[in-house]
This record gives sequence, C-alpha cells and structure tokens, in this order.
Amino acid sequence: MALNGAFSHLTIEVTDLDKSEAFYLDVIGLDLLGRDLVAEDRPTSLLAMNTRQRVLLVEVPEVPPYPASGGSIHHAWLLTVKQFAKARDRLEALGYEPAIDPRQSFRAVGEFNMDIHDPDGHRFQIQAFGDEGTEILGSGAGTVACGKIGEFAPGSVTRIAKGRFFLVRNADGFLALSAWCTHKNGITTWQKESWHYYCPFHGAKFDANGVYKGDMGCQPLRLNPVSIDDDGTVLVDTGRFFAREGYSPSQAVPARPGAVFQCGGLRELTVSLERPVSKARE
Amino acid sequence: MAQAETLSHSGICVHDLKEAQEFYCGVLGAEMKGAVNFYTEDTLNGRSVHQAYALGDYLFAVALAPDFMPMPPKDQLRGAMGVRHAFTVAKARFDQMIESLTRAEVPFEGPVDHPENGPFGQSVYFKDPSGNFLEILWRRDEDVTYAPIPDLDVG
Ligand code: FES
Repeated sequence: MALNGAFSHLTIEVTDLDKSEAFYLDVIGLDLLGRDLVAEDRPTSLLAMNTRQRVLLVEVPEVPPYPASGGSIHHAWLLTVKQFAKARDRLEALGYEPAIDPRQSFRAVGEFNMDIHDPDGHRFQIQAFGDEGTEILGSGAGTVACGKIGEFAPGSVTRIAKGRFFLVRNADGFLALSAWCTHKNGITTWQKESWHYYCPFHGAKFDANGVYKGDMGCQPLRLNPVSIDDDGTVLVDTGRFFAREGYSPSQAVPARPGAVFQCGGLRELTVSLERPVSKARE
Repeated sequence: MAQAETLSHSGICVHDLKEAQEFYCGVLGAEMKGAVNFYTEDTLNGRSVHQAYALGDYLFAVALAPDFMPMPPKDQLRGAMGVRHAFTVAKARFDQMIESLTRAEVPFEGPVDHPENGPFGQSVYFKDPSGNFLEILWRRDEDVTYAPIPDLDVG
C-alpha cells in the first residue's frame, strides 16, 4: 500500500496548554489557528506553519518522560537561513541557550542547527541549509607535492589531508578526487574495506573513481588537476576543480614524469569560498 | 506569517530495525533513504544503527533503542506516548487507505469525525510495531494552496 499522502501534523502532549502554546507561538514562531478544533477529549490548540503542516498541542495530566534510551528522539523544524538567524536572536533574547549543537562536528558545511526543548522536555532541532552547501570550497593549500610515483601502488587510495583530496592510482594513472561531498559539502572518507568513499552526513557513497552510487542524484566527486614533474613527483593543484558526469580513463594522468591533466570536455568550477584546512587536521 | 516553514524529519526509536522497515516500507509504502552512522567507529565497522525512510514528504530517522523502551498497552490504538505523527491523504482516497490497513492486518481505531469548524475531516489511528503512534486523515483544507514544502533529501 502506498500512502500517497503528505505529512499533516505533529500531535504533541503537553501538561500546561497556555504555557506550551506561548512557547510555540513566541519561541518557535508558529501562528495560532485556534483552540479545540480537533476531535480530542482533552483541551487542544492548533498551530500553523506557512506550509500545510500543523502542530496540535493536547493537554494531558502527565507527559511520559523520555526513556533513557530515547536520546535520538527529536523533531526538526526546517527554517530558511533568514528565519534561522531571527530564531537565534529571538531565543537569545528570551534567555535560551540554544546555540550548542551536540553534533556540530558531524554537520556538513552550510548546515545550521540548534537544539531546544519545549516546556515538557520534547526535543526539537532547528535547522537551516545555507548556500555554502553548494559552494566550491578551496583549501588554500595551493599546489601540493604528494610524493614520487613509486610511493603510490597501483590500486591505492591515499588521503592527503592537507589539500582535502584523495590521490588515487588506478590502472589508467593518477586521479585527485576532492573530498568535499557533492551532495551538500560534507567530508567524505575512504572506506577501504567497502572500496568506496562514504559521506557520513547523509550517507552518500562514491565508488573508487569517485562516481556516485545511489539514488540521491549526486555528481561524481570533483577532480583537482594532477601533474607529474620531470623528477616523477606527483603534484596536485588544489585551487582548481573540475566537474564530470562519470569516470573515463582520460581523466587519469599517466604514471610517468612530465604527464599532465587533460581537462578536455570537463567543466571547470570556480572556487567560491575558502575553507582552509585547520592545522590540527593536516 | 509564521516563522517556520516545516517540520522536515523526526528521530524515532524502535526495538527492531528490520521489523520497522517492513512496516514503514512494506506496509505504509515509505521509501528507504539509506543508513547513516554518526559515529566514525560505527562507520568504519560498517554498522548501521540508524535508517531513514521517507513517508510521503516526511523523513523518519529511525534509530535502534539501545535498551528498554516503554510500550503502550497492546490494545491501545489511539494515543501519543508524547507525540503522534499524522499524514494526510486526499478525501477520495481515505476509504482505500482504511481498506489497505485492514488488508495488511494493521489494527486501527476510527474513523473519527473532527469538528466542522476545524481543518481536519476524519482520522484513523494506529501504531507501528514498536508502539509509535500514527494517524491518517483527510483534511477539509485539501484544496487550499499553502507555501510549498521545501524539497529535502537530507536527515
Ligand atoms: S553532504 Fe549529504 S551525503 Fe554528503
């Protein structure tokens, strides 16, 4: 059976309808539609977002405490970036301290989050996605010398943290894959045991050549141009990025001195934001 | 004008991920959106304790409860254990939904008529195998155009 429907509303049990109604109106910023508009045998208040979605508060004598094991239970408001900034000011003005995001280090670039509890302890995440999630992010590392050709075995993937890329040596030569996830600028990791790159932010996977595998419609990981100098040192220019549709052997730079990246047919992307690699991560 | 657009997702806990997947994807027709690990150790071990299903335009991030979670009484079909998620279908399809629930042997309560001065029409109430309460309803405002739900494929 396919639901073929859409989310309508979240019913939330509260112990003090007036107090909670004030919280959802003043702190979260919902609109009041009215009291007791729904078939419940207890007092209710119906609140609106700008979309069709609603929040229904139902007054009950007691709200079951969140089980100790229920740490992941939460609900997420999605705001525009502007609304998010306003919400932060509003919360601070009201004396809340919502700015601590317990999962900050797991967020993709441009993902803004705050956590807040309502008067009965229901946990809410307030979330917004900014344009940074689709920017092309420079590392500021310039051209990185990775090592001599012989240091990289065919079939190897080496993470070069300093320039935020993976140096891949496959049967066709060298590729430098930018580690920024093409979904929303999370940072991918190489999982050798599964032979893929994995982005922990929303679970995207890319094969060894950086081509996306899945149904989120992501582009392949972007290429940084590789060149090999006359001494056989592998160099990667982290200031340039190329988009591609898939993998073709011509993207790889042959493993011999003097070989250079051929960008024919690939679209160059302009770095739009600098995100230097912190010293601690190098 | 409200200061929030939507609720985009909820994190819920279940006792059994496979059973939850069969219910949300198999019975309700949700789409599996993948398994995400927040902890590197889990990631490196290829272990998933967190799945995501899209039900209509809503995302459930489903985590395995690491230990005991209270269950509502077996015969209680309408309730909230704190919260309840409600999904709307077109009025014309509401009876079909009830038939599908019956066919899938999902016990439910209702349909319950809502007051005519409110936006809701009729609801049926049920729960997932881990005791999370759910509701399906049709709405009197189904022809009203609201701000669109932002397309979001992330949890
Ligand atoms: S940022 Fe969303 S999967 Fe990588």
